[in-house]
Amino acid sequence: MTSSTPQPSTPLLSADALHKTYGPTPALDGADFTIRSGEVVAVMGPSGSGKSTLLHCLAGIVRPDAGKVLYRGEELSAMSDAARSALRRGDFGFVFQFGQLVPELTCVENVALPLRLNGAKRKEAERLATEWLHRLEVDDLGHKRPGEVSGGQGQRVAVARALVGGPRVIFADEPTGALDSLNGERVMRLLTDAARDTGAAVVLVTHEARVAAYSDREIVVRDGKSRDMERVA
Amino acid sequence: MSTPSENAPRTTPPRTLPRTDARTWVRDLALGARFTLAGGKEGWIRNLLTAVGVGLGVAVLLLASAVPAMMQARSDRSHDRDDMYFGEKLKPTASTMLINNTDTVYHGVDVYGRVLDPDGDKPPVPPGLSRVPAPGEMTVSPALAKLLDSSEGKLLKERLNYRVTGTIAKAGLLGPAELVYYAGSDTLTDAHATRVDTIGGARRSSEGLGAVLTLLVIIGLVVLLMPVAILIATAVRFGGERRDRRLAALRLVGADTRMTRRIAAGEALVGAVVGLVFGLGFFLLGRHFTGQIELYRLSVFPSDVRPGTGLALLIVLGVPAAAVAVTVLALRGIAIEPLGVVRNAALRKRRLWWRLLIPVAGLALLAPLFGGVQGNADLNAYQISAGAILLLVGVTAVLPWLVEMIVNRFGGGRIPWQLATRRLQLNSGASARMVNGITVAVAGAIALQMLFSGIESGFTSDTGKDPNRAQMQASVDVTDGPQATAAFQAYRTTPGVRSALGLVQTSAIPDGAAAKAKASGNPDAAGEILEFPVIVGDCAALAEIAAVGDCADGSVYRVLPDASYTTPPDISKAGARLDLNAPQSGVLTGPPRPWTVPATARTVKSRTSPNGDVQWGILATPGTLDVARTQQARATVLIKLDAQRPDAEEYVRNTTARLGESANTYTLEGTRTVRKYTSIKRGLLIGAVTTLLLIGISLLVSMLEQLRERKKLLAVLIAFGTRRSTLGLSVLWQTALPVALGLALAVIGGLGLGSVLLKMVGSPIRVDWASAATMTGVGAGVVLLVTLLSLPPLWRMMRPDGLRTE
Repeated sequence: MTSSTPQPSTPLLSADALHKTYGPTPALDGADFTIRSGEVVAVMGPSGSGKSTLLHCLAGIVRPDAGKVLYRGEELSAMSDAARSALRRGDFGFVFQFGQLVPELTCVENVALPLRLNGAKRKEAERLATEWLHRLEVDDLGHKRPGEVSGGQGQRVAVARALVGGPRVIFADEPTGALDSLNGERVMRLLTDAARDTGAAVVLVTHEARVAAYSDREIVVRDGKSRDMERVA
Repeated sequence: MSTPSENAPRTTPPRTLPRTDARTWVRDLALGARFTLAGGKEGWIRNLLTAVGVGLGVAVLLLASAVPAMMQARSDRSHDRDDMYFGEKLKPTASTMLINNTDTVYHGVDVYGRVLDPDGDKPPVPPGLSRVPAPGEMTVSPALAKLLDSSEGKLLKERLNYRVTGTIAKAGLLGPAELVYYAGSDTLTDAHATRVDTIGGARRSSEGLGAVLTLLVIIGLVVLLMPVAILIATAVRFGGERRDRRLAALRLVGADTRMTRRIAAGEALVGAVVGLVFGLGFFLLGRHFTGQIELYRLSVFPSDVRPGTGLALLIVLGVPAAAVAVTVLALRGIAIEPLGVVRNAALRKRRLWWRLLIPVAGLALLAPLFGGVQGNADLNAYQISAGAILLLVGVTAVLPWLVEMIVNRFGGGRIPWQLATRRLQLNSGASARMVNGITVAVAGAIALQMLFSGIESGFTSDTGKDPNRAQMQASVDVTDGPQATAAFQAYRTTPGVRSALGLVQTSAIPDGAAAKAKASGNPDAAGEILEFPVIVGDCAALAEIAAVGDCADGSVYRVLPDASYTTPPDISKAGARLDLNAPQSGVLTGPPRPWTVPATARTVKSRTSPNGDVQWGILATPGTLDVARTQQARATVLIKLDAQRPDAEEYVRNTTARLGESANTYTLEGTRTVRKYTSIKRGLLIGAVTTLLLIGISLLVSMLEQLRERKKLLAVLIAFGTRRSTLGLSVLWQTALPVALGLALAVIGGLGLGSVLLKMVGSPIRVDWASAATMTGVGAGVVLLVTLLSLPPLWRMMRPDGLRTE
């Protein structure tokens, strides 16, 4: 499932020699990373290898102890917390494995949330949210709460939420980890198709090869170090 | 013998339905207990929160159960040092002693004082003393010793002009902070002291509180202890959501619904038992420090704080049982399925009718007592407690319905509002539970305040004194005029005294009456001579007790007694001859001191004195009657103080102390409150402060617990760019809404219970809006403070590392 998307020369997001330690444990030990617009990059590695930490550093959620993260030429670590939050609201989208939907809000309200956080009017935000729910084939769930939908449906709602703001980069951390293979495939197909349609880059953290197969390129993280793998066709 | 088929291995397990017997209960409870103990760091944190919550509640319950013993111990020691003597006058012997009550007040605190003058070498020794202090020496309580040694006690040291030679032991003190002294003297006389041969006589039976005060105590206990019960019930449900997920996993491996409930109860049981241990620890720790704490002038010896055995046993057994019951009941609204947890309660609309039945039942219990709580009527404490508890529980039962009904009407709004209202719509029960304690406390406090206001007039009386005209009164026995003048001068020159009006009060008899009595040969004749008062003072002083009008030195007035006196008015008419040497205690001594009422004497009306007395008799200025001519008079001084001068009252008391044992001083107060009423009010205030503190802590723990449950979600929301202020505001709304509704309900419930209580004591129902507003404000203040305290942890929980799972 390789992509034929042309590769622009300037990276959209890159990381250089990232170091991050939690307590005595080094999570990242000189990891590098690059991704271009419209590209889907899988970050692979065993449990505890530092993949999620790399994703958190790339998304500006966590500041690395050393090294640089550049987004469109700007260094994320140099930005204020407010600026990084604004970036995450406007330019980034997120899909996680668990606990990502606000249980009190309906599915349509969950999807509309990033738009509303960005200042959109409620009706307009919910209209766009409904469109995305339709696109991800879960438009009948709009008024249900996350607790009332299945795992696969919930994950599609989460993908809709990640895409609704028209992000440039989508960060997906084990997006199919809690799903069976059928639902996992469906979610991945919808995520990558929608991202390619909108030209968004996808950073896909996974330890499953079948999920990584949806990417254009793979980066393997082991013991906090990264290695760019040649795509095997 | 077994058959071969019986010995064959079974391929399938027996399909018998498990019976629920005691063994099953024990097994499942033990399983739950094991889960709790093996729950790792998370489990231990949850247990710790529960144990702290339950522990605080248990500590308060143990403290409350110790109150009867505490009161009894204080009462016993009070009786043991009682030196009141009501019998016939004793003759001095080796085992008698003169005692003079020299109680005083220092900086608003009572000082218990006695001056002792033994008649022989075997005097009764007051409790806590090893011997009667020698003349010029005193034995003091530890608190008084400390005060006298400090700069704060400087003025009191001047007043108690004795050398400290010993310390009073616990047996002679009501509490460790009590200020007590026993001083030795060799100058006491029968005139100003009582002769006793024992101290601490037979126990007098307690007078009892009367119906109204008993009601006040019962309601006070209910109001103070109900929030504690709610705190315990809330604490055992800490971590409920996480536990439910764990139970879902158990369902997956085959546990049935009942089993999961019992396992959950086992978990709660561990929290409750650990909480009991914590509670005992808190109680012992608190008891250790009670000796150093003084609340509202009440101090208690740690050794007096002993929980009653029966009540303590009830707490030890009742708290774990309540923990199990609360858990099992709470799980009735939740369906734990193998694949997750479904909250039935949220899906099912809350019904109002059964919630209203609770306060109605309370009302039904209390209604028969309307108008019946009067005088010394026998009260059924159980009926009153049950009625009040049901009324207050009714408030907590209606609250979840009210929160649900109101929040379901909300839709849209800004994001913080939307997040908060949606959360409340999904599970309003948790938020309602969180504010239950404060709701009950405020409702109870409003009701108590209404009862206090309603019955206060019955326990507070007008003394007739007018503190605007004089703030203190001093009096001292004088044998002649110069002594009186010296006493007046002493007060006039006392620091902080603006003015001191002196009156010398003595008695006169008709001239010749003494000679007649002596001639009669009847030894009791002197005591039967008609006496009437003679008061000497300057115009300003006389104007305080009579409408003297134009007055100058040399003026003299007559004030006639009211009709209740049999004294003939002619006896003091102008020109009447009087004898100023009236008998003293029925005995005539010395020659007559004749004096004629001047012809200028005018009859005037009396005026109520600043001390509330209405005087009559001859009122003379010094130019008419020289006080030097009077004998055995009492000099009274009406003192106006300089309000700006600190310690003015203390300086006056010190002057009094210098004037000798016959001198005394008191502060003029417009109203007087019954001591027992004041004590109960003070006790309830202490309880209210403790309860509010406890509720604040419990609210904080509940809030942190709720936030901890949502740590992951908060981190996700932050990850995709949600502002911290948005989440902070949403938490604030989520708390503020139930609190506002809870307080509104508390006002309604409190006014309702207050009205019921007033009906019971037969007082007119008057709504004390100011008190209701104050109590509601205090409740809101506690919540606001708790919310502010929960913000730093909230900020910490919103850190992105909440996303980490590995």
